[in-house]
Amino acid sequence: MKELQKFAYPVFFVVMAVLPHMLDDRWQAVAITFLIFAVVALSQDIILGKCGMFNMGQALFFGMGAYTTAILNNEYGWSILATIPLAIIIPAVFGILLAGPIVHLRGDYLLVVTIGFNIVFVQVLQNNLGGITGGPNGIFGLDSLSFLSYDLTSQISVYYFAFIVLLLTLWVMHNLAGSKPGRAMHYLREDQLAAESIGINTRIYKIFSFGLGAGIAGLAGTVYATQYSAVSPEAFEFIQSVLFFSIVLVGGSSVPGVLIGVFVMFVLPEIFREFATWRYFIFGFAMIAAMILRPRGIWPATFGKIPKFLIKDNNHGA
Amino acid sequence: MDTFLQQLANGLTIGSMFALVALGYTMVYGVMRLINFAHGDMVAASAFVGLTIYTEVLGQATSLFAVIAIFMLTAVVMAMVGIILERVAYRPLREAPRLSAVVSALGASLVIQNGIMLVWGPRMRIFPELVPQVYWDFGGVVISLIQVIILVLSLILMVALYLFVEKTRIGAAIRASSIDQDAARLMGINVNSVIALIFIIGSSLGAVGGLFIGLYYRGITFNMGWQYGLYAFIAAILGGIGNIPGAMLGGMLLGLFNAFIAGYVSSTWADAFTFILLILILIVRPTGILGERVAEKV
Repeated sequence: MKELQKFAYPVFFVVMAVLPHMLDDRWQAVAITFLIFAVVALSQDIILGKCGMFNMGQALFFGMGAYTTAILNNEYGWSILATIPLAIIIPAVFGILLAGPIVHLRGDYLLVVTIGFNIVFVQVLQNNLGGITGGPNGIFGLDSLSFLSYDLTSQISVYYFAFIVLLLTLWVMHNLAGSKPGRAMHYLREDQLAAESIGINTRIYKIFSFGLGAGIAGLAGTVYATQYSAVSPEAFEFIQSVLFFSIVLVGGSSVPGVLIGVFVMFVLPEIFREFATWRYFIFGFAMIAAMILRPRGIWPATFGKIPKFLIKDNNHGA
Repeated sequence: MDTFLQQLANGLTIGSMFALVALGYTMVYGVMRLINFAHGDMVAASAFVGLTIYTEVLGQATSLFAVIAIFMLTAVVMAMVGIILERVAYRPLREAPRLSAVVSALGASLVIQNGIMLVWGPRMRIFPELVPQVYWDFGGVVISLIQVIILVLSLILMVALYLFVEKTRIGAAIRASSIDQDAARLMGINVNSVIALIFIIGSSLGAVGGLFIGLYYRGITFNMGWQYGLYAFIAAILGGIGNIPGAMLGGMLLGLFNAFIAGYVSSTWADAFTFILLILILIVRPTGILGERVAEKV
């Protein structure tokens, strides 16, 4: 697997870099959404896969980033790129504040509470709280991308914007994997009690994972708002969180796994669009089959540094 | 005061429907530690199955016998679907990581939901008026016959289930399997049969709940399972998931809370308030109102 990855990553980057020039408009849009969903799924992976917290509300942070960009652009006339810092910080702060009181909840209770946050968020958007979210229609007519004095209106420039965000996210993920918080999160996912007993402050790292995941999802939200130059509540419904949740688990908690997950769960249904009414029926069976055949995901995480004979199969975590 | 009593009656009606569906979630969770996300769609499917039994099998007859027959047949059909569901989607994953089974449940939910759409079409169908429209007016508080039927029948079913689980030998097997499957197996309990039985009971109670939803709200759509399922699931969590009286209590509380929010505040905020209540209760009591505190196993 390691050898394959060494070879596969450059190929993947090159293919993704030239891809938009070979696609028509509709598939370019699909490719952009693929990149955005990949970023959100990776941020979900930090919380769900790396830290083992059953979070089913990732669309909340994704939406919060998108709405931050939309409101700042539409109401206050900030350029899209200038909204990025706040579109990361606001969801991250909310992630920390929301996670604080709930991270001690047992798995399934946490799951339902995060669903709850997501539904409350969508209802707040729909009821136009504070008069800035635009109600059920959302906010539309955002500016297109512009950098210095260049106007980047074309879909291809949005694609590269999304691609850069994905690369940035991959860089963060790569650094996280070897860092102190990354190792702590891995440990607490495998065995929380053992992690606590050697002095890891599990609470802090759980909240940290929410903050980081929320910030990255918020950044993806900015790209999303740019792509459609609009935001509306139904794009961030809890069913969307279910999608991100399933992507990580079907793909497996690794970077290639998450990317494969996004491809399988989002791009494949797009390809089979002509079978409109049948596709999700078959898709459901495919999800069941995927889990039976590969319970840890299509491409599960591997931890290279531990010798093989020391790893015993266990059933904790994702 | 009128609003209060009226919403009390409405709340108890909705609450008993939530409670019936919540029992399906909580019983499956109790034994298998699995959130059966397909349960809501099973409930939706049972309303459609009931509709078809009414038009195709019974030839649109509306007698007391016909109503009983619809409930019985739907429950039998859904119990069979429940067994198939467990066999296909959950049994192969019993030893797998817990979240794999959750994704499998989500897949099963998609299959059932889109299966309904393929068979009965994407448009809203109107459930037949099986119960005569009889209303009683108690000084401004209107209670309909269907509300009384729903409440009484639900209570009978819930008490029967409680007695079954607490007082019979099979009930003891269910309780034993929910405490420790391996130990139960060593005591000669066939855990596979217990799980099949759980799905039979849960799915038939869900079927009754689905028919009630059809009778009470009349309009049924293929994707309504998520909405009712989510509420019932919250009810189960609220009471303490895995706990049978907890699901009943949670369902009733949730129904009442919803009705009062709709009556006194506004129905556009009903979902938000429901979840805020849930979150507050879970912060104070992390395992629900009647849930036991489970020590982490080392």
